[in-house]
Amino acid sequence: MSDAPHLVSVNLQRGRFELDATLAWPERVSVFFGPSGAGKSTLFEVILGLHTARRARVKIGGTWLEDSDTDRRLPTWRRSLGWVPQEPTLFPHLDVEANLRFARPDAPAIDQAIEVLELGAFLRRDVRDLSGGERQRVAIGRALGARPRALLLDEPLASLDVTRRANVLRDLIRVRDALEIPMLVITHDPDEAMVLGERVAVLEAGRIVASGPPAEVLWSQAVLPLSETLGLENVLRGRAAPGAAHCLVTTGGVRLALPFPSSAGEAMSLGIRAEDILLSVDPPGRVSARNVLPARVIRCEPDGDDAFVHLALEPGDERLVAKITTAAVHKLELQSGLRVYALIKAQAVRRLA
Amino acid sequence: MNDADVFGIAGLTLWIGAIATVAVVPIAVAVAWSLVRHDFPGKSLVRALVTLPMVLPPVAVGLGLLWLLGRRGPFSALWEATGIDLVFTAGAAAVAAAVVGFPLATRACEQAFASVDVRYEQVARSLGLSPSATFFRVTLPLAKRGVLYGALLCFTRAIGEFGATAVVAGIIPGRTETLALGIWSRVQLGENSAAAVLGAVSFALGLAAMWAGERWLRSDPP
Repeated sequence: MSDAPHLVSVNLQRGRFELDATLAWPERVSVFFGPSGAGKSTLFEVILGLHTARRARVKIGGTWLEDSDTDRRLPTWRRSLGWVPQEPTLFPHLDVEANLRFARPDAPAIDQAIEVLELGAFLRRDVRDLSGGERQRVAIGRALGARPRALLLDEPLASLDVTRRANVLRDLIRVRDALEIPMLVITHDPDEAMVLGERVAVLEAGRIVASGPPAEVLWSQAVLPLSETLGLENVLRGRAAPGAAHCLVTTGGVRLALPFPSSAGEAMSLGIRAEDILLSVDPPGRVSARNVLPARVIRCEPDGDDAFVHLALEPGDERLVAKITTAAVHKLELQSGLRVYALIKAQAVRRLA
Repeated sequence: MNDADVFGIAGLTLWIGAIATVAVVPIAVAVAWSLVRHDFPGKSLVRALVTLPMVLPPVAVGLGLLWLLGRRGPFSALWEATGIDLVFTAGAAAVAAAVVGFPLATRACEQAFASVDVRYEQVARSLGLSPSATFFRVTLPLAKRGVLYGALLCFTRAIGEFGATAVVAGIIPGRTETLALGIWSRVQLGENSAAAVLGAVSFALGLAAMWAGERWLRSDPP
């Protein structure tokens, strides 16, 4: 595991709070998920070298930035990490362009960032006149302009209202897909973790309690109570089907009816709440639900009166979790391997990004 | 007293104030920044020492300076060796003005630096700026108004300084006689109208400096 390109191992005491976390991961995009106060931002600050910790071992993109075992420690300004903290982020005494070119006045990386984030229109603007979403895009652009070895985003969507959130999330996905650099993202929103991450690490009270592929970790029994309170949904990714305005084809090849129009080929992430999914063992007859998806039961996890049924869609093997009553599980005699139909009203499908 | 005397006294006063301010502000900035951004043993003692010239009787400050700058003080060997003899010169007046202006400048700078969110400095460092580059490109520009306000306070305090200056520089017409000293000596001599003229000039200079400063500092929000 220590051969993984990214590694963080830290022990830090701050008053009564102790951050004690060790994690190594090979994925390019990792999400740090957990409730506020879990130590996510502090973990970033350790990675950036802003704290002196009892133990701090930090390797990003294969390069050691700090290793308290060997007394090596790069100062913050030599770590080349593109950090976008929570507010405040932009220098108020500089305009948008001066913020973007803060690190290196004429780096080609800045022109690329301006292009990817579509910042060309407001280079001359005063940063105080920008909306929350625009500020966030400029902050990301500025971080990218310094040609960082990795991008560290701390709650990039938290300060935004719901409508701007989807826009900035789309920008983040564009940055993620257009650039090759590693990304570390902090969020307390399970949907964001699902949409952005290749790996998610869950922090609670200064400890890493779980880590792995987002859908697996966030729906796991250990993390579920937490992700549920923070608003977990099923997330399906795909592209708008050509020739059908209200239809999406998921990456696994499943066609999904949408309650809103989309333009052909557009990439989308959709959210479906677990309690909005009906299960049927027999092929349903004439029902109003626009989506009747064949699936296979992977396992049932009863939790008191409720039960979480983990499904694999056919074809494509995409995962979906349905929340039904334990009584329904018994009545339908659901068990691993059973073929069922997942019924989802088009109205229950929400666009996340 | 003719116009030339008035201009001479006013000019000397402004000159002393300017020298004192230019000398004090960089020190005040450095001290204030250390106090705000760093923890070190004896910090509260340093804070108290910084404030001291503001709360001591200016005459006592003058006595202290006389001792420090004099030929019988702790630095007598240094003054001996370098041939510097400041006592009863305009230089001594500038030193006195600087010492009494220093607490005001430092306090204002402290407030200015404390109001700069550390996040900006951390972001600058994450973008590859060394601590000194961060200071000059982020901290100082963001604290600019407070620092300038401190400089203004220091300058106006310096041009009004009396007690310490009288002790360490004396009241020597044409050499160390500033507006405050000039007013005092005219009153002593019973030249009330001349004292009133110098008083009016003091009033005009102080008001002009503060008014221009206020206008300028308010016209350009940070």
